[in-house]
Amino acid sequence: MNWKIWSLKKSIWVFHVNAGACNNCDIEIVNLLTPKFDVERFGIKLVGSPRHADALLVTGVGTRQAVIRVREVYRQIPKPCVVFLIGACACGTGIFHKGYHVAGPLDKIIREVDPNAIIAYVPGCPPKPEAMISGVVKALSAI
Amino acid sequence: MNQQELSDRLSEINDKLIDTQQPLDDRIFLLCESKNSYAVNKFLFEQLSLRFVIATGIDSDDCFEVLYHYAYDQLGYIITLRAFIRDRENPAVESITPFLPGAEWIEREIHDLLGIEFRNHPNMRRLILADDWPEGVYPLRKACPLDKLGASSERSEGTKK
Repeated sequence: MNWKIWSLKKSIWVFHVNAGACNNCDIEIVNLLTPKFDVERFGIKLVGSPRHADALLVTGVGTRQAVIRVREVYRQIPKPCVVFLIGACACGTGIFHKGYHVAGPLDKIIREVDPNAIIAYVPGCPPKPEAMISGVVKALSAI
Repeated sequence: MNQQELSDRLSEINDKLIDTQQPLDDRIFLLCESKNSYAVNKFLFEQLSLRFVIATGIDSDDCFEVLYHYAYDQLGYIITLRAFIRDRENPAVESITPFLPGAEWIEREIHDLLGIEFRNHPNMRRLILADDWPEGVYPLRKACPLDKLGASSERSEGTKK
């Protein structure tokens, strides 16, 4: 196994971007850090800078204003990294499909920057914290 | 003010209104032309001390409308002033922000989305549309070609091919 991938899978540090979400997914992400789920025991924690991150957590539909920032944040993350698209909006623009403010879908936006990006989808409105943990486990066992 | 006093006070501005409708006991609509909306709003806010809730804009069939919603909390009334803007080419109405600062952002939002000009607004900058949004395109107008604006439409065209 590539040593970069091997080291990526230990203690994933996460940077979270809200690309026009309604805050519902964001609340569920914060819920992951509470004592009930406590993902920090696996070394998963939110960090304040994309340069410290192993994974990018994107919520929201990807508005015209936000996708410029999402691209820039993705560029600043050390590669290899995993992108988690959290929620129905991030996975495929959801109910905002064809909205005038929508520049997404976000997987297309990220693939414009890096065609080989590793992208995991966690659908739901909002996804349960259990679903997010399951998504992380599946994504890590797939790479 | 009780119910009778309120309707007496409202009748003072009857000459500026087209019509008054009361579909429910606690719901009053005042209809006026856009040129009278400043005076009526000032009367409702300063003379009757109604609480300004929000304003809304509508692209109606033959005109634009700006609806100013006020609440009279002692009686639980919602009083809405509907101002009709007949000029569809250059819709404009007097801004109420000079005497009602709470209306600043909602007037900027209506200007962004519907392209209604608020005259004498102190700070008419873009509020909610994206920085790269083209000038003169107003997404909530009925004539706006929405499927040409969002990038997500390109994807659905791509999947058809």
